[in-house]
Amino acid sequence: MNISLKNISFSYSDSLDDAILENLNLEIRSGECIVLAGESGCGKTTISKLINGLIPHYHSGTMDGDVFLGGKNTSDMTLAEISRVVGSVFQNPRSQFFNIDTDCELAFGCENLGMDPEEIKQRVENVVQEFHLEHLLGRSIFNLSGGEKQRIACASVAATDPEIFVLDEPSANLDLKTIADLKEIVSRWKRAGKTVVIVEHRLYYLRDVADRICYVKNGQIAYEWTPAELEAKGAAYASSLGLRCLNLEQLREGVVRQAHQPCKVPELVEGPQGSKELDLAKLSIAKSIVFTNLTFAYHKKHPILDIDRLKLPCGQITALIGHNGAGKSTLAQVLCGLQGSWHQKRAARKRGVYLIMQDVNHQLFTESVLDEVLLGMKPQDEKLALEILEGLNLKQYADNHPMALSGGQKQRVAIGSGISSGCDVVVFDEPTSGLDYRQMLAVSVMLKKLAASGKTLLVITHDPEFILNSCQSVIRMEHGKVVEQYPLSGNENQLIKTMTGKL
Amino acid sequence: MKLDPRTKLFLAVVANGMIFTAPLVYSLLMVVVTSILLLLEGKWKFVCTFLFVYIGAAFFFDLMKNLDIGTSGTIILASLFLMYRIMPACVVLYYVITTTKVNEFLACMSRMHVSNKVTIPLIVMIRFFPTVFDESRAIGNAMRMRGIRLFSLRTLKSPVAFLEYRLVPLLVSITKIGDELSIAAVTRGLSAETKRTCVATIGFRWADAVVWAYCIVVVVMFLLRN
Repeated sequence: MNISLKNISFSYSDSLDDAILENLNLEIRSGECIVLAGESGCGKTTISKLINGLIPHYHSGTMDGDVFLGGKNTSDMTLAEISRVVGSVFQNPRSQFFNIDTDCELAFGCENLGMDPEEIKQRVENVVQEFHLEHLLGRSIFNLSGGEKQRIACASVAATDPEIFVLDEPSANLDLKTIADLKEIVSRWKRAGKTVVIVEHRLYYLRDVADRICYVKNGQIAYEWTPAELEAKGAAYASSLGLRCLNLEQLREGVVRQAHQPCKVPELVEGPQGSKELDLAKLSIAKSIVFTNLTFAYHKKHPILDIDRLKLPCGQITALIGHNGAGKSTLAQVLCGLQGSWHQKRAARKRGVYLIMQDVNHQLFTESVLDEVLLGMKPQDEKLALEILEGLNLKQYADNHPMALSGGQKQRVAIGSGISSGCDVVVFDEPTSGLDYRQMLAVSVMLKKLAASGKTLLVITHDPEFILNSCQSVIRMEHGKVVEQYPLSGNENQLIKTMTGKL
Repeated sequence: MKLDPRTKLFLAVVANGMIFTAPLVYSLLMVVVTSILLLLEGKWKFVCTFLFVYIGAAFFFDLMKNLDIGTSGTIILASLFLMYRIMPACVVLYYVITTTKVNEFLACMSRMHVSNKVTIPLIVMIRFFPTVFDESRAIGNAMRMRGIRLFSLRTLKSPVAFLEYRLVPLLVSITKIGDELSIAAVTRGLSAETKRTCVATIGFRWADAVVWAYCIVVVVMFLLRN
């Protein structure tokens, strides 16, 4: 089914003066797979909402122009009618399930369409086979990992067999193996003649699948390329537009080139201990922090985490990689004393490990950014707090409410509260998921500064671009155990190979 | 053991009726049957904690109610009373919510010819509670990491601040999640106008008969007690 957007202008407010889309035209042919790319806030998600009917039927705002799905105007259809032809997968796996168990979720869409129960059972059986979900049947969604949830979401949408699929940053919470599965799913839809629209920052997994990449800027389609055309322009061109790389090989070459240039030591952040004079070189060779007895299990027979000894090089950024469900988040929680036995918790408190959660909204409590930094400080010292904020470029927001800041700023506030509580080790849970190139670079610079100030950083991540940009060593986990630990320099190939295996 | 959602609703209604209107012995009868049902679901830890607190509260209430005690004593007495009167109702609700799947509930509502306009808000609620607990746990974790605990000097000094720390992020995140959940539902075709089908098999079995009979006997005993 073809999609056509004609002279679309849209604003989330009452007038078109601050429109997010301005006079946008886009024709998508039947059976085509297109990617909408662009920097955060450019309006690409808004385009996806126009196609699945959430605009104008769910979000309020001012709209001008028409959207046609196979010749029918979406403003004349109800959402229930649109949902018969358009299947949507969203970014946040926590909130796109309407049911609390997987079986019901797979059947949910079909039930809403009023299909015959026997037919539904058949369809569910088919998608379970196609998406290899046998081991996920009958589970509560609260016990699934992000990647598992995303697969269930794709499968339950596929069960209703719509003509058009709209995916809004589906890979944001996925590991590279699951991304490979996602790629397989998308190409299957394409082979079946479905029209697929994907809003995405990560482009490399779509290189062989996408027919067109549309670059959205200032509310319009600014450029259109085929993946081959964009690749030919090189990684530097893509990153100048704020796009993630299309080809991980190009990325590696870029990193090797950088390595031959003299390395700039980032500016130091002054921590509460005044660690300005730390000798970086000495730190990186000699010291490391050792954690022992990192085990955790819900049932004795199935340990989720089973590590006797974990060594983190001091003052460095270590990447923690591994598949969804390998125990990375559990490791982070045990390290920070949020899970585990009484002994483990006491050890964690003594050590001082701070976790920057994936959803930073969970860890900002107070009424102002300054209070947030002061909260964990003993004794409270406003001057020091302001210095910390200055180091994080947040001084001008000291009196703002944390919830009113942007995502990246919130993350920095959370880091500030970590610094002020005097923790030496900071663990990050996927700090770059869903970020465009510029934002990812900003996070990378900040983490480097933090490491240079003497903090030891452990970063859970599925983002090879980020690892190659910022980390010095890599730890890989599988089934709750550390299977590999190596310094990154010289081993870039190994990293890319383990991370992209199937792609 | 699987009960029909209608049986669970009946159980919840009878239990609440007994707990709030009848003498203690009737609410005890309901506590017993709910505990057994929860045990059959394998939630023995939950049941043990509940019974321990419940019996403890009832015991101390009984011990204290005839003593001549001051204002602070009355407050303790009142909270004990609330505990042993309200807790069973919460436990019944917990049983119904944790063991009923969304689509079973939908199926049972449509069997009873309840309009979608009533059913859909109800299932949003069923879906929402566990999410709130989940979010609340994550926020609790973040608070512990910052050294903010319920039992600490800081909390004693400013209990309102503690509540604020807990509630502000929770409100922010559940508003967002609520919105995203409704989007998930409407883009998947859930609407009040279309008739939906259901793959869940619901129906009465012998276990349902036992629970119904038990509840009816309790109600009849209560009505005929004079």
